[in-house]
Amino acid sequence: MQQPSVETGKLRTKKPLDSRFAATLKHIRRDRQLLLLFIPCVLFYVIFRYGPLYGLVIAFKDYSVFQGVMGSEWVGLEHFQKFFSNQDFWMLFRNTFLLGFFTLIFGFPFPIILAVLLNEVRVKWFKKSIQTFSYLPAFLSVVIISSMIIDFLSPTNGLINQFISFLGFEKKYFLVDPNWFRPIYVISEIWATMGYQAIIYLAAIAGINPTLYEAAKVDGANRWHMMRNITVPGLMPTVIVMFILNTGNMFRIGYEKVLLLYNPLTYDVADVFSTYVYRKGLLESSYSYAAAVGMFESVVALVMLLGANQLSKRMGGSGLW
Amino acid sequence: MVGQRKLSIFSILNTIILIGVAIATLYPVWYITVISFSDTVSVLQGKVFLWPKGFNFDAYVQVLKDSKIPRAYLNTIYYTALGTFINLLFTAVAAYPLAQRDFFGRKFWMLGIILTMFLNAGIIPTYMIVQKLGLIDTVWALVLPNAIWTFELIILKSFYENMSSQIREAAKIDGASEYRILFSIVIPLSKPALASIGLFYFMGHWNSFFLPLIYLNDKDMFPLQIILRDMLIFNSESDSALVDRAALAPQAMKNATIVLSMIPVLLIYPFAQKYFAQGVMLGSEKG
Repeated sequence: MQQPSVETGKLRTKKPLDSRFAATLKHIRRDRQLLLLFIPCVLFYVIFRYGPLYGLVIAFKDYSVFQGVMGSEWVGLEHFQKFFSNQDFWMLFRNTFLLGFFTLIFGFPFPIILAVLLNEVRVKWFKKSIQTFSYLPAFLSVVIISSMIIDFLSPTNGLINQFISFLGFEKKYFLVDPNWFRPIYVISEIWATMGYQAIIYLAAIAGINPTLYEAAKVDGANRWHMMRNITVPGLMPTVIVMFILNTGNMFRIGYEKVLLLYNPLTYDVADVFSTYVYRKGLLESSYSYAAAVGMFESVVALVMLLGANQLSKRMGGSGLW
Repeated sequence: MVGQRKLSIFSILNTIILIGVAIATLYPVWYITVISFSDTVSVLQGKVFLWPKGFNFDAYVQVLKDSKIPRAYLNTIYYTALGTFINLLFTAVAAYPLAQRDFFGRKFWMLGIILTMFLNAGIIPTYMIVQKLGLIDTVWALVLPNAIWTFELIILKSFYENMSSQIREAAKIDGASEYRILFSIVIPLSKPALASIGLFYFMGHWNSFFLPLIYLNDKDMFPLQIILRDMLIFNSESDSALVDRAALAPQAMKNATIVLSMIPVLLIYPFAQKYFAQGVMLGSEKG
């Protein structure tokens, strides 16, 4: 593999372009083992991440399995027009937006409050146990969580309904009542994510300079003062970053849970872009139409994320990247 | 004096709230377990709350006798083991070259990888590729399309970058190949990082529901989560929605299946804390 030094010497005296080319070759040769190791990674990203992006051309075609992606006929924006003029469009947009928005607005404060409260606990083992318990749901599958929701809300013998009838009210069919879908989704989302999101805030609190607390103590501040004037302000940068991040990801709905909990009676409030894509594309085999809907969803999500980042830069923050 | 009293009231309130949080997260899991050990009559009469009534293992015996559930359990173990192994192997092997500061085309590769975090083609085109490759109804459909999670790749790459480069230089002088350095030095030294990302990969496979739902048609290949979903929500597309779905499947049997599916997770969970917190933190810093 060793090249005679004479040759490299000759190349170096040639024109700059050639020498750059030679340097590249040399670089490749030097890194050949690393490059060989890197092949699976390149293949993975090309096939499973960039391949589907190329596959999106079917959103502008009338895809048929027999003609393939290349052979199918171009139809331009027909699928998009069909989707935008469909009455489903606004329903999906509203549902996706509202589920994301309510989860963000109602869910956001919980992990912060939990972290601040945990930070006030002086007994170590108690703090540790509560924190450990609080993120147990992060280990449960979406199927199990949905199963618990269905069980607890069951009209025949669900705990919630037993309690309701114990109080003398009429039992409720929560999961077939469109008014209840969003609250159920949001509350269970809070239950499932509060604990592990608190980890991030607890770490941020741990990063606050301890001399601040000592100085405050010397000045006679009690724990309430310290919490309000040191812990909470110290958390703010993390809170802002997390808020931007969550806003950017607002359109990424936990569609698996929606898929498990919705039914034809609650489609009007529960159906989101992803579940619609799943039904149209994979159950009804309208590949092109579903791909167009999916593409629209991705573009909206991307715009949201870029917009949130831009906004944070405008407001004097650093942005996320 | 006033400050002192306020403080203790705050502490008591705080303790109560936090115990409330712990109960709210633990009770549903406890309740499922209790139901699975209770006799059907007590469950149907709604008499079971805190402790099993008519303690028995009938539901578990039934589950084990069932034709589908034990097989689904084995399927899940197989998919999780193979999937996590492939994930870790691919991620470790990909992160190593990327961690070398002067790796050929490093900036280009990183840009290409990070871009995929923003550009998401969606379900349909990915499905079509998996279909085209003939992976439908094979274990590879669950493993290959997500062989590398970009987030975990970046985490591991940063970990490698922070490892001393002297070891690598020394090994190179001794004539070791890059493969040797990676597999007998770097990977053994990065066990904590691998454990952390491995935990997330493991959880991802064990709890995976959507991928088997769309990629597997063969009933013999169904993992636990799909079986659970079928016990839970059969016919959600038909008019049975009006019927109480929870009452359709035998409660105890369903809950026994849930408990069985949770066992590995709950066994890992106390030991995984450190790695879990680490993973969440690393993830948030990168995000």
